[in-house]
Amino acid sequence: MLTMRHQPRPSPRPHEAMQRKKAEADHREKKPKFCINDHIDILIEILKRLDGPSLGVASSVCRLWCTIARSDSIWEHLCFRHVSSPPPSSLRTIVVALGGYKQLYMVCVRPVLSRLLHSDLVRSRVWTRDEVQLSLSLFCVDYYERRLLGDTSPSSLMFLCKPVNV
Amino acid sequence: MSLYSSCTSAASSAGSSVSSTTKTSEIDCLLAGAGYRVRSSDLRHVAQRLERLDAAMVNSPAEVSQLASDVVHYNPSDIASWVDSLLSEFNQTASLPSDLPELPELVVGPVLNQTVLAEDAWTDHDAPQHQQLNNQFPVMTAMEEDSGIRLVHVLLTCAESVQRGDLAFAGSLIEDMQSLLARVNTSCGIGKVAGYFIDALSLRIFTPQGVGFGGGVGLDAAYENEVLYHHFYEACPYLKFAHFTANQAILEAFDGHDCVHVVDFNLMHGLQWPALIQALALRPGGPPALRLTGIGPPSPDGRDSLREVGLRLSELARSVNVLFSFRGVAASRLEDVKPWMLQVRPKEAVAVNSIMQLHRLLGSEPSRNSPMEMVLGWIRNLNPKIMTVIEQEANHNQPGFLDRFTEALYYYSTMFDSLEACTLQPEKALAEIYIQREICNVVCCEGSARVERHEPLAKWRVRLGQAGFRPLHLGSNAFKQASMLLTLFSAEGYCVEEKEGCLTLGWHSRPLIAASAWEALALPDANSPATAPGIFVNPHSNPPVNSL
Repeated sequence: MLTMRHQPRPSPRPHEAMQRKKAEADHREKKPKFCINDHIDILIEILKRLDGPSLGVASSVCRLWCTIARSDSIWEHLCFRHVSSPPPSSLRTIVVALGGYKQLYMVCVRPVLSRLLHSDLVRSRVWTRDEVQLSLSLFCVDYYERRLLGDTSPSSLMFLCKPVNV
Repeated sequence: MSLYSSCTSAASSAGSSVSSTTKTSEIDCLLAGAGYRVRSSDLRHVAQRLERLDAAMVNSPAEVSQLASDVVHYNPSDIASWVDSLLSEFNQTASLPSDLPELPELVVGPVLNQTVLAEDAWTDHDAPQHQQLNNQFPVMTAMEEDSGIRLVHVLLTCAESVQRGDLAFAGSLIEDMQSLLARVNTSCGIGKVAGYFIDALSLRIFTPQGVGFGGGVGLDAAYENEVLYHHFYEACPYLKFAHFTANQAILEAFDGHDCVHVVDFNLMHGLQWPALIQALALRPGGPPALRLTGIGPPSPDGRDSLREVGLRLSELARSVNVLFSFRGVAASRLEDVKPWMLQVRPKEAVAVNSIMQLHRLLGSEPSRNSPMEMVLGWIRNLNPKIMTVIEQEANHNQPGFLDRFTEALYYYSTMFDSLEACTLQPEKALAEIYIQREICNVVCCEGSARVERHEPLAKWRVRLGQAGFRPLHLGSNAFKQASMLLTLFSAEGYCVEEKEGCLTLGWHSRPLIAASAWEALALPDANSPATAPGIFVNPHSNPPVNSL
């Protein structure tokens, strides 16, 4: 689980948010009950601030949460949350063409970030444009290998999935 | 270790109040109490040597008595040098041929693992890393290490007798080496590398000359070679480093151009180009129109592998909205390629990309028009914006066989060492076969069959300079990218260095692959005012100049 300490502020877990809302609702019986599912924009704002594994958990809460948690725009936000400068607008078409932001995050961004954080002494980390570019290039090579040689071919990104051994 | 360091700090504080030289404060005080003079910085070294001495004495007790009676030692209180001298006595009394060249640095590569392990054992017994290291590099016993050292010595003797022409003696040494191999761990380290070199030597000794090995003879070999190359790409970072560094240089050179043409001297699966296509797509100002000409060996059975690769690259380029066109040139040797096959258009910016291909041109007999000069000549006539040259950083083209053999032994041991860190199978096994083929070619082949004629960067600088090329410095972006790439690889031990604008990637301070970029110096004008007074057109500017 990506630790929360790398984010600028602590984020609420979805079920805690839900419980809090429910407690509030129970407390004030006269006021109309508040259901987060009626306020999708707030829900999206909350889910946007979660990390990858929490998003995975969130997607199994209910169908609405599942749809939102799987939408590529949330993963896009997750991929570039820590980038110092906003990515160029032309990036989206490219990432979508190569498999989408969720794929980019799971296959590339997450292992690259964790590997870089491993060897980095500075704790609060902001991604530089160079690191974004390198991840994208690796993602692109991986996509190409699958297209050319099939899914069983050796993958450029396999070295990222193996645990660090020294 | 902390006990000793606290002691030395106490000694140094005491030393400042006493009018003794600073040298006294470095001496370990605990051993000093027992009458031995050892510098604290040497403690680890001494402990290691004592361990080795102990093991050696246990293994060959017969020689201990000789050691006690015949050898003279001075300054027994100076433990460090005393132990060293004892150890060197031991090595000399082992049964080795007397006319050996003394090359201690050869065993640094594979034996390095063992000494690293010993150091860790000395400093921190509880380190979990120690356990991991144990699983990673099985501890070599002293006897194994001894056999390993002997193996190297016999390999060199064998190579020397091959150079002399004494094949009978060389053949008998092969048998000795096979028996030595049985006593060494052949799944890693010196045993594995020695095994490959012994095979290569026996091929050379026992097979009639004129048969090419590992040079990619035959059409099926081309397909096999592609597969092995791909696995070599995955198992270690050398090719990735090559591709990413070249791409960065090409990207920077293409800045501001709208029509660009890349000529790849060895297309293989085209793994280098997706990243360039994607980077061009993201270029501020939009992507240029990209043409790629890929050179590769002809494929058997009517399979057009070049075209297949081109199709996939076009697909990728289309999905990221880059105008792309591909052309394949099938040629079994680089010197067979003629510039008209590349169809370079006048207004486009050309980049020539050569990844471990130029050295293959060094193979033929010296004649008036050597292939290297010819190829470099037509490259220069193309007037490329940039030529990226990536070559192995080794001197495997020396005329003398023994020199070549020694250099290859050192180079490939280091490379195999770096490969040990890879845990992916079958990538690792196939990558080793790929390297083994190179070894075979360097050791077994001669004349035009020997294509792996690696030369170091310094020689390439001279050669390319004489051919009319100027070095371009690879910028800091390339260096940053290379360092980042290495951080992502799990083994620590790779190092990127920058030297006079070129980047090298190596293992533990031995560079193994070097990347450089070049541009063609301006060609002298064909029609100069001195020779042809009259109307002339300067090809580099648009309006024709009328000098009349």
